[in-house]
Amino acid sequence: MKRSSLVFSLLVVLSMLLAACQPAATPTQAPAEPAATEVQATEAPATEPAATEAPADANALPRNETLYFNGQQWGAVACWNPYSSSCNNALGIAQQDNARVTMFETPYLYNMLDGKVYPLLADGPYTWNDAQTELTFKIKAAAKWSDGTPVTAEDVAYTWASHVKYNTPTGSGNKDYIDTIEAVDPQTVVIKAKLDADGKAVNPLIVGAYVSTNYVIQKAWTETLEARAGGDAAKFLADTAEDVVYSGPYHKFFADETKVVFVRDDNYWGQDASMWGKLPAPKYLAHTIFKDNAAGFTALKAGEVDVSQQFNANIQDLWLKDNLPISTYLPDAPYGIGASLPTAFFNLKSNGLDNVNIRKAIAMAVDYDTIIANAMTNQSATFTQVPRSLMNPTAGEQAMYDHDTVKDLQWAGKDYEGAKALLDEAGAKDTDGDGWREYNGKKLSYVATCPNGWSDWQAAIEVVAAAGKEIGIEITTNYPEWSVYQTVVTKSDAPLPEGYDIFMMWSDGAGPTQPWSRIRKLMSSEFNGMASNWNGNWGQYANPAADEIIKAIPGETDPAKLKEMYTELVKIYLTDVPSFTLMYRPQSFHAVNESVWTNFPHDGDGTNPPVPPLDLTDGWSIAGLYNLTLVK
Amino acid sequence: MFRQSRDMAVHYLNVRCRVKGYWKYFLNKLGWFLITFVFAFLLNFILPRLMPGDPVAAIVSRLAQGMSNASGVQAIYQQYADLFGTNKPMLEQFFLYMRNVVHGDFGLSFSQYPRPVSEVLKASIGWTIALQFPAIIVGWLIGNTLGALAAYLKGSFDKILMPVSIFISNLPQFGMAVILLVVFAVNLKWFPTSGGYGFDLLPSFTWPFIWSVITHYQLPFWSIVLIAIGGQAIGMRSMAIYELNADYVKYSRFMGIKDRKIIGYVFRNAMLPQITGLALSIGTMVGGALVAEIIFSYPGLGTTLLNGVMGQDYPLISASTLIITVMVLTANFLLEILYGIIDPRIKAAQAD
Repeated sequence: MKRSSLVFSLLVVLSMLLAACQPAATPTQAPAEPAATEVQATEAPATEPAATEAPADANALPRNETLYFNGQQWGAVACWNPYSSSCNNALGIAQQDNARVTMFETPYLYNMLDGKVYPLLADGPYTWNDAQTELTFKIKAAAKWSDGTPVTAEDVAYTWASHVKYNTPTGSGNKDYIDTIEAVDPQTVVIKAKLDADGKAVNPLIVGAYVSTNYVIQKAWTETLEARAGGDAAKFLADTAEDVVYSGPYHKFFADETKVVFVRDDNYWGQDASMWGKLPAPKYLAHTIFKDNAAGFTALKAGEVDVSQQFNANIQDLWLKDNLPISTYLPDAPYGIGASLPTAFFNLKSNGLDNVNIRKAIAMAVDYDTIIANAMTNQSATFTQVPRSLMNPTAGEQAMYDHDTVKDLQWAGKDYEGAKALLDEAGAKDTDGDGWREYNGKKLSYVATCPNGWSDWQAAIEVVAAAGKEIGIEITTNYPEWSVYQTVVTKSDAPLPEGYDIFMMWSDGAGPTQPWSRIRKLMSSEFNGMASNWNGNWGQYANPAADEIIKAIPGETDPAKLKEMYTELVKIYLTDVPSFTLMYRPQSFHAVNESVWTNFPHDGDGTNPPVPPLDLTDGWSIAGLYNLTLVK
Repeated sequence: MFRQSRDMAVHYLNVRCRVKGYWKYFLNKLGWFLITFVFAFLLNFILPRLMPGDPVAAIVSRLAQGMSNASGVQAIYQQYADLFGTNKPMLEQFFLYMRNVVHGDFGLSFSQYPRPVSEVLKASIGWTIALQFPAIIVGWLIGNTLGALAAYLKGSFDKILMPVSIFISNLPQFGMAVILLVVFAVNLKWFPTSGGYGFDLLPSFTWPFIWSVITHYQLPFWSIVLIAIGGQAIGMRSMAIYELNADYVKYSRFMGIKDRKIIGYVFRNAMLPQITGLALSIGTMVGGALVAEIIFSYPGLGTTLLNGVMGQDYPLISASTLIITVMVLTANFLLEILYGIIDPRIKAAQAD
């Protein structure tokens, strides 16, 4: 007995030792320490986590020099290639409406709050020629690459030429609208638009957006990359580009499976008086790779994250109940600025959904307040605050259509009586007494769907389904995996299959081509017939009147005329109800923990131009990095 | 003299028979190993590709965000379908895959394109093995020791250990992980909540970093070990009880053989099935500790593989399952060979 307990305790101690020394076996880590320290490792779990008590050393990131993010980087970084869109390099590469300009830079920065662009690499505003076919801008004399050479117009031209040559997403996405980009002299760039049969630019709006959505990449480095790829487009795009030359204030410091860290370039050209006049405040930008929102949320609460770009349910509890120094852009609901419109699309070929009254009846019966309260925990404006249209809730877009003209077309939601009246009018009545209405002799029965695991969308779809029951339409829910879901809804060259009668997809957010691009993707029939439609109008709606206006808007410059056109589109949209918006969603979620850094962008913070809540990395929001100060 | 040489001949024949029997046994096992491997290899290739959905569409969806023209998206789709060969007939894909695998090339990962599968695996596999291997061994050692002791000591030790073991081993692993997380990380703050090492550290051969790795290791490690202990203890206890009541134990006791010696026999016999279990769990450990990884945001293959499955990353799925297949088969094969040596009954049964 005595002996066996001795053996037992020996075994336990042995196994604990094993446990303690094993992590040192991983390849990224050092060999095990001497035994004495291992024993300490197992005996001293009562101390604080090592990070907090460890003295500062070269391998630690000083807390007061590092800005931590969450919600952007999921999984390890794959590459540093600015020509590729699949580097999964969230802190470094995102060429989009609000381009991420930490490492690479665009000529202009878009500001979603005032809808204007501000020069970054460019010097002064760009100009159009009178015919709106050529856009000209200059490059700042101070702009330099990380290797010290100046950024030139030739770099801009060569970047575009490479995008076209190697058929990158940027190239194939813009070559229908941009003919050439030329360097007139080392400082001057001219973008020539593709012209239509009448000699007018096909789409000046998209040409104008190019300068704030796409990076300028160094010509010399591009040539190095080309030599390495040997002219092979796939190799060109798959290159990891560890040697890339950049112009932005940050670059790679460290990346592995658990985190990615950027470090400031203290020779950054932007400290020149012609741009920021100083360096951004944090020396390091770091992003721990969390496996899910819950882990990121715990870290935000613990002060291990400064800027949170993930959906944190009931965010107000963090300051109201937990008394943490955490805040959002707006102090009260909706806490952020809504920018995109998550939308439920109708399959217009389903029995009954080809009838506008039945579509509208379903949309009228949905309880939107419940969706916004439950799915978004009030992080969305309500439809009473911002009536439905095709515009996002920003003041700029709201001013672009006439609210009064479409007032009679609005619906509040949860209007069961109004919905029933519409259904009766459509001839959809319960003739066999089973509680469900029939149309064309068939029971009105639909499947509402969205991808599995997208919990906020699933909550919204459940509310849509519940509305059906109130008005005698059977709506069941189904949640396929995203990999299946996306294949089905983006196949627009055939009618949607069974099980996709009402389904959710996103819309564009805020950007230089908005609201036009969002409206196009919600309503234009040009995407019908595409085998792989990643643009929009997934319900395959077609209305020639709407198509015509959508086509005409980019060439229109008269604001009064534009307002008229946009109002007409909203009118068509609310009349035909090809799809309906379920909530408003911010461009980026933006919550900040002010235990280390402060002076983050907040509504009414006095910045001019206002710094948008886009995590201090996207478009004009990077200006916020220069305003940060330490709490102590 | 004559008798001696006859004895020698008999001995020689015996040995030859034994060796011959063993060879037969060995070849038989090797044959099965190869057959299983071929089928597993085929299934590894085919099954992921039978999933509904289109992986290239998923990649295009990432690329096409913000692209404003219709034809551009189509061109990109075509480009990637060509690159990954998903538009080729399945048979052609299979031969391509086989040719590449023979050269040790698992291709490019779909879900983490443009990273090659080998790099994706290399980056995570160290973390997984460092977490799983010690956890499996420690759980196995402690569990079996406790089980054997419970069977031998009986009494109050057994009465306490059994219910506790049953309770713990039936906790789902995520339940155990969440309990550990909430109690020791969130409330007591003894351990960090997430990551493989401190959020403000970089890998280096320094004491703060090593210490950080150790503290981050504890919760994921124990969340696996505690569950394993319970299951192993229950299994070992019943095996040992069965053996303790076997005739040879009674006979040995009757013969007055020392208790210690008997325990040794019992232990050895009860151990056999437990060793099989150990070999299998070591074989499958490369699959990763998914639950621990997710709850503690610990790096490793489990989540990589999960994302691969979600993203229909055929090359990544096939490569991981291939590694698991090879490891399980090899572990099993070695075990059977070993059994043939240590337990003559098995070989005899097989050789008939």
